[in-house]
Amino acid sequence: MLPDSTPFPLADAPENLRAPALVVGKVTPGSLDDQVLRFPDQGPPLKWYLALAFTGSVAAIGVVLIGYTFWTGIGAWGNTSPVFWAFDIINFVFWVGIGHAGTLISAILFLFRKRWRNAIARFAEAMTIFAVICAGIFPLIHVGRPWLAFWLLPYPNQRGIWPNFRSPLLWDVFAVSTYFTVSLLFWYLGLLPDLASLRDRTTSRIRKPIYTVLSLGWRGAADHWKHFEKAYLLLAGLATGLVLSVHSVVSFDFATSIVPGWHMTIFPPYFVVGAIFAGFAMVLMVLIVVRETMDLRNLITDFHLEVMCKVILGMSCLMGYAYAVEGFTAWYSMNTYIQHTFMNYIHGFYGWAGWLTISCNVLIPQLLWFRTCRRRYFWMFLVSLAVTVGMWFERFVIIVISLYNDYLPSSWHVYKPTLVDYGILLGSFGIFFSLVLLFARVLPVIATSEMKADLPGSQPRHGDHHE
Amino acid sequence: MSETTEVFSVLGLFDSAEALMQAIPKLRERRLGHLEAYTPYPVHGLDRALGQRRSPVGGMVFVMGLLGVATGLLFQWWVSAVDYPIVTGGKSPSSWQAFVPIMFEIMVLFAAFTAGLGMLLLLSRLPFFGHPVLRSRAIQGITRDRFALAVEPGREAGESARFDPEAARAALLAVGARDLETLPALERGPFLTAGSIQKSLAGIAVACLVAGAATYGAIKLTPVLSPVSHMLVQPRLDPQMESRFFKDGRGMRPPVPGTVARGFLPPGFHTQDEAAQPPAQHPRSAGPRQGRIPDPLRGLPRPPGQRHAHPDRRLRCQAGQPHGPQLPGLHRRADLRGHRAGQERHAVLCRGPARGCPLGGGPLRARAPAGAERQR
Repeated sequence: MLPDSTPFPLADAPENLRAPALVVGKVTPGSLDDQVLRFPDQGPPLKWYLALAFTGSVAAIGVVLIGYTFWTGIGAWGNTSPVFWAFDIINFVFWVGIGHAGTLISAILFLFRKRWRNAIARFAEAMTIFAVICAGIFPLIHVGRPWLAFWLLPYPNQRGIWPNFRSPLLWDVFAVSTYFTVSLLFWYLGLLPDLASLRDRTTSRIRKPIYTVLSLGWRGAADHWKHFEKAYLLLAGLATGLVLSVHSVVSFDFATSIVPGWHMTIFPPYFVVGAIFAGFAMVLMVLIVVRETMDLRNLITDFHLEVMCKVILGMSCLMGYAYAVEGFTAWYSMNTYIQHTFMNYIHGFYGWAGWLTISCNVLIPQLLWFRTCRRRYFWMFLVSLAVTVGMWFERFVIIVISLYNDYLPSSWHVYKPTLVDYGILLGSFGIFFSLVLLFARVLPVIATSEMKADLPGSQPRHGDHHE
Repeated sequence: MSETTEVFSVLGLFDSAEALMQAIPKLRERRLGHLEAYTPYPVHGLDRALGQRRSPVGGMVFVMGLLGVATGLLFQWWVSAVDYPIVTGGKSPSSWQAFVPIMFEIMVLFAAFTAGLGMLLLLSRLPFFGHPVLRSRAIQGITRDRFALAVEPGREAGESARFDPEAARAALLAVGARDLETLPALERGPFLTAGSIQKSLAGIAVACLVAGAATYGAIKLTPVLSPVSHMLVQPRLDPQMESRFFKDGRGMRPPVPGTVARGFLPPGFHTQDEAAQPPAQHPRSAGPRQGRIPDPLRGLPRPPGQRHAHPDRRLRCQAGQPHGPQLPGLHRRADLRGHRAGQERHAVLCRGPARGCPLGGGPLRARAPAGAERQR
């Protein structure tokens, strides 16, 4: 049995070979609670209200414009033949992708026993849920009559019909709704012990009953922890398969069609990698802000940010590979249509979007090879912002550019988004960041019970407790 | 009632997981009752030290995952191949490959609900508000950084009578526990329990299943429910169908005598407007189709007993010729029986709830005219 503070076995190993500490300074279970769980009991500072007012206003723009779309119909958007999928589907794929980083951090890194994930998992999971909420808006409003969206579900109905189970769009309904449900369950389960801690800390008459109900009477019994740990492990395993399947299914929406530029076998892995890439960039940006404004530098350390930068760098290289394979496929297929579409990505009316995508997703993240860039907020922010913009435009390239020149040259038509399109996109960011701000103040941003279990000296040293 | 006769447990606190783990074997030797520990985070090896059984969550999740796969496959197969077959891409309605993504999602959904809700509701019996430990002074430490060990009366028959709180207190003090508390048993059952939630969830599930099955059965038995508006029974007038609405029993209205429909003017005639215009701009005389009048009934076999020799019967009819029930057309039963084309046309039209349809059939049933098959 090794001391828990040093994952690396040799405590007297040279400095550069030792695993870095996951917390800075002395952190005890009590001090952790005092540091992380005090926020819900404190009145938020003025700048939090200002930020919420700003994001709330932006969200309101989106909500109003969504209402306007309902009122006037989808004609309020720029979608027209042959580009019937545009901002709505771009935003859907973009937001689902943002969500994937949270599940990756909380589930896949949990299975790999990467203990640095404990400090950031809760926040990343919350961002998953908020991102999937934002993503879910778009297909719903794109169906035109969202009040009939329940027709997508298979239930015995008066019309005597069933949905078509061979349609990838229906797979998407199942994949995204399952993803949201399981993510919510996973997140809530992890929150239970922390909600119990909040319940027993707070003296507020309003929050105490809320936390009491939400914590379901959690009392930390050894019998409960036993089931809890097992269930959490299983949920992590299930969520891992799920997160890989969800974006694969999203890519099937495209890959199973015969549109040149969409009909590619590389799409599922390409989409999953892109999703993790975009999600990590978003998590990194939000985490930097949270770390500074909430004074969590000792728990979310430079090491955490550096590891995340390395993941972004790795994913960026994979994206470069995927783009290259797309070009190779176009050339090697000797198919005029695919070649034409690929040339449209980098040349022609929308050629700038293709180059923007490649610059933001492949070229700019290469800065992270330098240690300085992985340690400085400026560079991290620059790269994350570039990745976020680049990944949005990647979906623009895939969807709009593949569609606007279809098989029939007489129907070629340039797509122009309307102000309503831009406004709804902006509004989705407003909704996302409003939810993030609310979460940061109402619930514990760091999974304290998970961190406590991994603090130095928190586990008994004697006895064989490793299976 | 202030005097509490029953004791739920005697509980003492430790400052570290280490101290807790060392105390457990010593207390287990004394056999004072059932031991339970309360900790702020999962402590490795604690369940084994307390002699607890392994969690059955894994097996439950596995079984429910398999059930999810089976449910996903069977449901999709039944819908796509049996109840509502849609042929897409020329594939067999029962090809299973397209069902895999949803099978996987249903598997994950079943397994995740089993792991999450099954763990809470079935195994941990949560929610449990007002548990004696939640009312203790110790709970603030337990959810923060302290470790509690509780001696409860044994769960087997007779053991609770033998439980001695004083002996338990002394034993806990002896192994180094501090801040000892004797927790009274609950006076009344909690308000909302795992059991009541399970019952509600089961009730909702049963209600959904019953409602779904009832809806499905009702649709199969009576596809056209009279209070529900149905497109097939709306009042409508088909030109080729009989109609009791009119006295002459025809759905098609005869044209007003002395008038002619647009586009059916015989050659050589002009309307007043056309006559006023220069002939070069006449739409019929312009272009390559000049001089041709389409014959809408061209190619149809001539009915037996036809009296009108003119190839374009409609034209003659509309141009003001005498007409009546004896005029041959597709809307008369006798003519229908005689002609293949008319029969097919009539079979198409009779898929609606037509009264007195000569070839039988009814709503949603007629697929092919049986009589037509025989006559071919």
